[in-house]
Amino acid sequence: MDHDRLKELLPLEALGTLDGEEARAMAAHLAEGCDECQADLRSFREALAALAIGVAGDGSADRIWQRVEHRFATGAAESAPGAGVINDRPAGRTTDRLARAGVSRAWRAAAVAASAAAIMLALMSGNYANQIVAIRQEDSARRAALDRQARALANQLEDRNRDLAALRDQISVSGQLTQAVLAPDARIIRLAPLAPAPDAAGVVAVTPSRNHAVLQVAGLPQPPPGKEYELWWIGSKSGPVKAALFTPTAHGEATVASTLPPAGEQLLASAVTLEPAGGVDKPTGAMYLKGTP
Amino acid sequence: MQKTSAIPPTDEAVIRAIAGGDQKSLRLLNQRYGHALAAVAERVLGDRADAEEVAADVLWQAWRQAGAFDRSRGSVGAWLMMLVRSRAIDRLRARAVRSIVREDPAEPADTPDASLEIHSNQRRRVVQAAIATLQDNERAVLEMAYFSDLTQSAIAARTGLPLGTVKSRIRSAMIKLREGLKGLGD
Repeated sequence: MDHDRLKELLPLEALGTLDGEEARAMAAHLAEGCDECQADLRSFREALAALAIGVAGDGSADRIWQRVEHRFATGAAESAPGAGVINDRPAGRTTDRLARAGVSRAWRAAAVAASAAAIMLALMSGNYANQIVAIRQEDSARRAALDRQARALANQLEDRNRDLAALRDQISVSGQLTQAVLAPDARIIRLAPLAPAPDAAGVVAVTPSRNHAVLQVAGLPQPPPGKEYELWWIGSKSGPVKAALFTPTAHGEATVASTLPPAGEQLLASAVTLEPAGGVDKPTGAMYLKGTP
Repeated sequence: MQKTSAIPPTDEAVIRAIAGGDQKSLRLLNQRYGHALAAVAERVLGDRADAEEVAADVLWQAWRQAGAFDRSRGSVGAWLMMLVRSRAIDRLRARAVRSIVREDPAEPADTPDASLEIHSNQRRRVVQAAIATLQDNERAVLEMAYFSDLTQSAIAARTGLPLGTVKSRIRSAMIKLREGLKGLGD
């Protein structure tokens, strides 16, 4: 997938909705460090953030802050029992404020303990204090490294989840195909290859009782940038009616749900053509597959 | 009583202060973004209490990781919105039922900062104007993509739209939004 095609997909990447081959190609492209795409992606993410921030209502900030204070109290209670433990957040100045705020006894006790530790530190000899400062710096660097590792793992997890979602989608559509084929009123249309892709093949299963139709293809070449394949129903009255848009995998395969053929008229044929990305209302491109009921 | 601070600190300055251990700055961050964090989480989770818990989680994460914030990768707002969406979707996936302990207010609510309110109202007007440029079908697909855990294929399957249509509507909506929100600084 080339740069221009990937650039068109950046809005979907910003939303995290890309899947399958496109998601993998995008991840690889961004990992290569394309500055233009990175900047474009950032601008879309900023727009989304502005959207979320701009439409928000009012009234919850105080309740949220109570929950945050609860975390402070819990976190302080956990670190307080270790004598000499020095919080890496300034502790002494928080005592008065928290007393005013009427927060939990545990937090106040923790704040007092932390203040005492700070006073002890001030009274210690210079060498000892320096040692503690060095230990704190080392500790801080270790925590930063762990944070980095955690972020990398979180990113990996996100990638895996995305792959899993794509796989689930694929299984779901494949399941629909199986159901469509096995239904008593299933109508199967085999699509034969035409000149542009002599090794391609396809089948459409139409199941009116389940109100769905599914297309499966194999052997189709990857569409050039800015193009997609489009499935058509060709009816006796309405002529070609668009049914589904799709892009096959790198192996030339695709399984997609499509609309049902137009009701109340005879279906003459079904066909797959190559069209501009986003689809067109009537076929304009080369025909790759065609079949009759 | 209304606060009369001279020049409000930038978001980056607030994050730096948080990294230095300043809880007041974390509270200011909550005043600026708490509503939005909760609103996004509520749209994803459909539950206000859960949403406020997620918003608090995000602020807590900001407290712990403020030192690692990198401006070159995006604004503070974008960082927080990314965190809240990700956490809300994680919670949705986990489908954990949590009993929320409601506590009496520990401190009287702060009087809203007037400059903050004006800023929020201006921002809201710009965003609403940007949203108004979207067609209904673009807006519907964009909302589904942002507030759910669905991939483009899943959205296509759920809506019955061809995948290419889903993509083109999202793309068109995002480009219009970006255009409409240009100049909306953080």
